[in-house]
Amino acid sequence: MAKPKVASVWLEACAGCHMSFLDMDERLLDLFSRVEITSTPISDIKEIPEVTVGVIEGGLGNEEELHVARDLREKCKILVAWGDCAVFGGINCMRNFIKPEDMLREAYTDTVSTVNPSGVIPHVDLPPLLPQAIPVDRAVKVDVYVPGCPPDADTIAWVFNEILEGRIPKVPSQMMRYD
Amino acid sequence: MSNSEIRMFIDGKECVGSRGDTILEVAKKNDVTSIPTLCWMKGLSSIGACRMCVVEPEGSGRMLTACTSPAEDGLRVNTSTENLVSYRRQVLELLFAGRNHFCMFCSQSGDCDLQTLAIEHGMDSVRYPFLYAPFENDTTDVRIQADHNRCILCQRCVRTCSEKVGTCTLGMKKRGWIMTIEADFGSTIGQSDTCVECGACAQVCPTGTITLRNLAYRGRRRDCDAVVDTICPICAMGCAIKVYVRTGSIVRVEGTNVNGPDGGQLCAEGRFALPYSSEQPRVVHPMVRTGSTFRTVSWGEAIDVIGSKLKEHRGSGKMGALISSLATDEELAVFSSFREAVGIRTANYNDGSLRGFYAGIKPFVDQGVCPFTAAHNILNADMIVLVEADPQKILPVAASYVRVAVLHRAARLIHVGSGATPFPGITDLEVKNLFDPKLTGMLKGAKKPVFLLGASVLSNPVAVTKALNFAIEHRAFFGDGLGIVPLLGHSNVLGAMNTIMSKEDWLGGEEQDFLYVYSTGMVPESSKALSAMSRSGFTVIQTPFLLPPISNLGDVLLPAPAWFERSGHLCTLEGERRQLSKILDPVRGLKGFGEVLQALCEKVGVKMGNPSTSPCENVFASKISPDLAKQVEVDEELERSTQPALAGRLPREA
Repeated sequence: MAKPKVASVWLEACAGCHMSFLDMDERLLDLFSRVEITSTPISDIKEIPEVTVGVIEGGLGNEEELHVARDLREKCKILVAWGDCAVFGGINCMRNFIKPEDMLREAYTDTVSTVNPSGVIPHVDLPPLLPQAIPVDRAVKVDVYVPGCPPDADTIAWVFNEILEGRIPKVPSQMMRYD
Repeated sequence: MSNSEIRMFIDGKECVGSRGDTILEVAKKNDVTSIPTLCWMKGLSSIGACRMCVVEPEGSGRMLTACTSPAEDGLRVNTSTENLVSYRRQVLELLFAGRNHFCMFCSQSGDCDLQTLAIEHGMDSVRYPFLYAPFENDTTDVRIQADHNRCILCQRCVRTCSEKVGTCTLGMKKRGWIMTIEADFGSTIGQSDTCVECGACAQVCPTGTITLRNLAYRGRRRDCDAVVDTICPICAMGCAIKVYVRTGSIVRVEGTNVNGPDGGQLCAEGRFALPYSSEQPRVVHPMVRTGSTFRTVSWGEAIDVIGSKLKEHRGSGKMGALISSLATDEELAVFSSFREAVGIRTANYNDGSLRGFYAGIKPFVDQGVCPFTAAHNILNADMIVLVEADPQKILPVAASYVRVAVLHRAARLIHVGSGATPFPGITDLEVKNLFDPKLTGMLKGAKKPVFLLGASVLSNPVAVTKALNFAIEHRAFFGDGLGIVPLLGHSNVLGAMNTIMSKEDWLGGEEQDFLYVYSTGMVPESSKALSAMSRSGFTVIQTPFLLPPISNLGDVLLPAPAWFERSGHLCTLEGERRQLSKILDPVRGLKGFGEVLQALCEKVGVKMGNPSTSPCENVFASKISPDLAKQVEVDEELERSTQPALAGRLPREA
């Protein structure tokens, strides 16, 4: 029997969840013997194939991220949300208190440390921002929530193991963290 | 089964309580721990705001908040049904969705009741849309921050501020989702006129809303290396505290007497100065002055230098010692033996008030009655008379007692003195003189008045005696003594009065040839004390902290253990001796007070007697019922020197 395939994406987040995944250390070898890793931010395969497990790190803040989340949802059987950004929206939601255009002006022209004499605000070739940054489950259905900033490597390993055993896990209280 | 006893069943377990208990109280009495709480807090009134403590009475399908619903005989409730757990999780999700709780950048993450409950309830996602409503972060106060983004409106702070501290600074404004905590009807904490900065609101806040800015990120409670129960060493209230220690620093101090009269509050001094104290520069080696600088020396050399000066001036009658009245009973006792062995005069920091107070109370002590009552009896008084007294400045927690007695227990408040009342808005009468007919008229209706005496009264023996006579006249009798609360500041004033107070006022008189100073470094020295230090021929200063001015005034500077390195007893104004416990290991090479004095005695060649001291509760305890106390005659001659607020006398009945 072919090994189940796994794909992961890094959306609006700091990559800390993927770092925590790498913190699984030698347990990664065991995992790789049981699954086939396809498209991930680490493996650098651009096209997400049809997979069994899809993992999202990060919230959704622009149209590209929204598209990637929908794409992965369509291509995976079980969607896992890693980390506070994917689960609750996380630190990206700090921008939700102001309008996107005000935020861009603040970031690219108004800040004291910014040198931008012509006042250019990046817009061409960049995906437009969503009105607010949102958790993944505001856009697509999430099957497994793994909160934490980041979740512990132990928790990530436990979640993979449960899925490979054929269960849809729910992170127990003693493993759960929000920070 | 007594009449008031009730039996109910919680999750099938038979629980015994009393009529009038709430379901939660019965659960607590019977060690049932399955009812989660959030807005409820021991010692505060219950408001049932958060709905976490809901329980289901069997067969009814209703939910009751355990903290506010009375327990009934025969009632059967369940605490952990699937329905209840799901309801509680829903409440938690709504709390998270309604405000902006970002755990990853909150200083209280890991120390937060809301977070703990959410994790316990398996809240791995929030099913409701987050509102992202902008709330203010009140940073107007330098010490206390209120980030309303993290507020769950449990009102623990509002209740503590009103019910325990009595300032009623905090309240609520607006309604519904946009309701927020506010200070002084629309002001901020920094601009509040009523806030006393005690930080009780931060101690009770279950989330990261009200925090102490200096103490943020210094360590979560659960990450601390040790938690030590001790008492605050600063003022004579001796509040019970819990000290959190992390990597050799005091990172947090909390009041613990939640069920006691103070309700676990502390004052600003205790809350902020104590954690700061372990970060201050220390005197770590003995040092001897050479010209304008100090030279580090060994303990042996320091003892040699001091010992030879002691020998030189022994018997000159010009040797003195100034001992902090924050020193423990044990330290005072050992010094008292040292004084007898080498023959020097001793005084303490607030000798002036103490000597006057002692002379004033002596005739009553001789009658076998305790001339004062425990400070918390202010809460049991129906009339509080402040005589030139501002408790907020001297004993801040006693000021809380005054406010709470007036606001919640219908006591009346009278200010006697030349200035304005320290409690504007809640003072019923302001008079200049204790014998004002308006006051004596009001006192006729009082059953249990209490008199708070300020420093200017305490330093005057005639004024003290007259105040005590006045208290007896108006039947100010409490179980433990007369209804007088002397506002004596330092933590062990009663102990100092008991052991080392000098008979005559030599401090500030002629210059001394030799002066030994023992400081705890926790309160500033008076100008009189500093002047004595700088004027004496040879000054030894033993102090824990390398802080001017005191560290510049010695000829020999000796390290002393700081309050967190000492243990012993302090005589509090709460009517008992309380234990000060060691919190941190002393810095290397430190010698205790007794050890130094012992070495000096050996050097001089005298033998120190066995130090002993009786607990203050025995020294001052009433031997007769306080209501048998008799007024004493006041010398007509001396009466002229009375403090103005006590000039005059009661009209004698023919």
